[in-house]
Amino acid sequence: MSNVVMGYKQSTFPKRLAAIAGIALLIFIILPFVVGSFQLSLVSKLLLFGTLAVSLDLVWGFTGILSFAHGIFFTLGGYAVAYYLKLNLSAANNTYGGELPDFMVWNGLEVLPWFIAPLKYFPIAFLAMIGVPALFAFITGSFIFRSKVSGVYITIITLALSSALTTFFISQQAYTGGTNGITDVSKLSFFGTDIPPVGLYFIILAYTVFVLALSWWLTQSNFGLILRSINENENRIAFLGYDVAQYKIFIWTLSAALAGVAGGLFVPLNRFISPVYLAVAFGTQVVIWVAIGGRGTIVGPLAAAILLGQVQNSAEKVTQDWNLIVGVLLLVVVLFIPNGLMSLVPKQLSLSNLSKPKPLPGAAATPVVPEGMTAEAKKETVQRSS
Amino acid sequence: MLSSPIYLLAQEEAATAATEGFSYVSLANQALNGIGIVGILLLTALGLAITFGVMRIINLAHGEFIMLGAYITFWMQDTFKLDLLMTIPFAFIGTAIIGALVELTIIRRLYGRPLETLLATWGLSIVLQGVIKLIFTAQLKYVKSPAYLSGSIDFLKDDAGASLISISYYRFFIIVVALALLAITMFLFYGTSWGRQVRAVTQNRSMAQCLGVNTKLVDMGTFAYGCGLAGVAGAVISALKTVAPPMGQDYLVDAWMVVVTGGVDKLIGILARAFLIGESNAVIAFLLNDPTARVLVLGAVIVLIRYRPEGLFTVQKRS
Repeated sequence: MSNVVMGYKQSTFPKRLAAIAGIALLIFIILPFVVGSFQLSLVSKLLLFGTLAVSLDLVWGFTGILSFAHGIFFTLGGYAVAYYLKLNLSAANNTYGGELPDFMVWNGLEVLPWFIAPLKYFPIAFLAMIGVPALFAFITGSFIFRSKVSGVYITIITLALSSALTTFFISQQAYTGGTNGITDVSKLSFFGTDIPPVGLYFIILAYTVFVLALSWWLTQSNFGLILRSINENENRIAFLGYDVAQYKIFIWTLSAALAGVAGGLFVPLNRFISPVYLAVAFGTQVVIWVAIGGRGTIVGPLAAAILLGQVQNSAEKVTQDWNLIVGVLLLVVVLFIPNGLMSLVPKQLSLSNLSKPKPLPGAAATPVVPEGMTAEAKKETVQRSS
Repeated sequence: MLSSPIYLLAQEEAATAATEGFSYVSLANQALNGIGIVGILLLTALGLAITFGVMRIINLAHGEFIMLGAYITFWMQDTFKLDLLMTIPFAFIGTAIIGALVELTIIRRLYGRPLETLLATWGLSIVLQGVIKLIFTAQLKYVKSPAYLSGSIDFLKDDAGASLISISYYRFFIIVVALALLAITMFLFYGTSWGRQVRAVTQNRSMAQCLGVNTKLVDMGTFAYGCGLAGVAGAVISALKTVAPPMGQDYLVDAWMVVVTGGVDKLIGILARAFLIGESNAVIAFLLNDPTARVLVLGAVIVLIRYRPEGLFTVQKRS
């Protein structure tokens, strides 16, 4: 964009960004061969939480919709995959030796419910992992955003959604496994061979890179500009003729789909899914990652999720009051570093700066001169008129 | 959320109802006991109606102020062997002081930035839980309810003398306290000069300032009062259920639902909303089951916010 305005042409490929991203990626590629199996699964998990936080960042950081409901989308995707893995458990590994998952037997079900049965097949489960959260988001989004409800009320609605859905999932024990959720699922396999932890790590890493790249591309585009304008001044962008609700619904649905896939990848790693991830507490956790990392920075939430997770892991060996530390950290960030930890990173290294191509020598000076002149000209006219 | 006391109350009522089968007598009993739920909702939401409804502060730490009130009651009862009723004033004063400190150090910096306030108060709620856990440990605590509040009032008995329609004294006590607090609050807001100042500040801050109102003091006082009310709620509720650091979370969503569905300028509206939500919860729980009741009521609240974000009981205003 800027290259057109400033009247010179050059490649828009962000070389410095690509270089830094490449180095970071290289570190993550080497990582599994250096660390132990515990760290490997921890980092895998944190990468998924990080992508979940990035998906919330698209909605909150860029568009200004604070949602405590992102755990919902994560969990919906997770359940889709959990059913798939549970139904593909070999009969020998199943507690009752039959087709039916153990929790359904406990609750007196005799046939597989029709809406769960198709999830046995990978393509359907794969589609459900993306489609169910996206559809749920599309329905709720269309319902909420096409009204005059705004800001804080939307946040309260997401709180209620999360609370209602948690209650619902816990109460439908026969279909969802109740409070325990779906446990003892089979391993994710590829044409009959189980995928090892390292393989899963690389799938997760690839997905993380995909989410980061998509988010970066989306927010650099004109579309991202409109999202940011909605955040800044919703009325003004509506007056310019944009259908604000449609943009909100789109980003809300997309973000839910991204969160759903993260949830889907979480299940083979974690080996269970439960309503814990639906509840408000987990939704808040995601919000905290974004707030501490920095809203609207894309990389910030991911970094915060990984950092906080690692610190928590080592802190829990020493103290049980990890939550207290998170609370204090959140308070300090909100009060004193409102733009998150990423704002502490030097300006030259910020994402928006790195995304811009390096200005040509001499080109940077040109726009400054007319600005100064207009200011002086204004001063003169004021003096003359008085 | 399933451990929500409101949910538990409804559950226990539904259990008694289920054994008797459907009858209008047990429905009436259920509806009467729904009053107990209404009382809790009213108590927990009243403080929030002040901090959010009047001051527009998104206070997600409201549940923790309830928890603080409950812990003050527990501590007073444990050390001084005080009656529960006697601890209520201390619960009010204690939480009000903490509320004033919070306003002074955190909330004051964030006026006009609702989302930041929301985040900061959530951080505060985590901190308060952590601190209480450090002091009192995570163990469950029990508060004794006074002996003269045990037993129940019977309205209808069957031939054998077993009560068909009855309400326990303690639930009756809760609703009485809630109504009394509502009356006191309304008097303070509409009958005293302090209330007039508060209303002036919420309507037009800069104009109130011009007229010599100390707006900062009014802000602090109002927030402290709202927190104090939460403390009283905690003190009264403490005997219903065990006292533990995360207990406040259970009340938060319910209290929010009551406050959010209503207009903010009429305090009396909160009574109507608490009644509507509490009773529909109790009756649906009786007719169907508890999770369904909760999901339906929350769903109804969402629909309500969607279509009437300005609230159920507000007069249309020109803006």
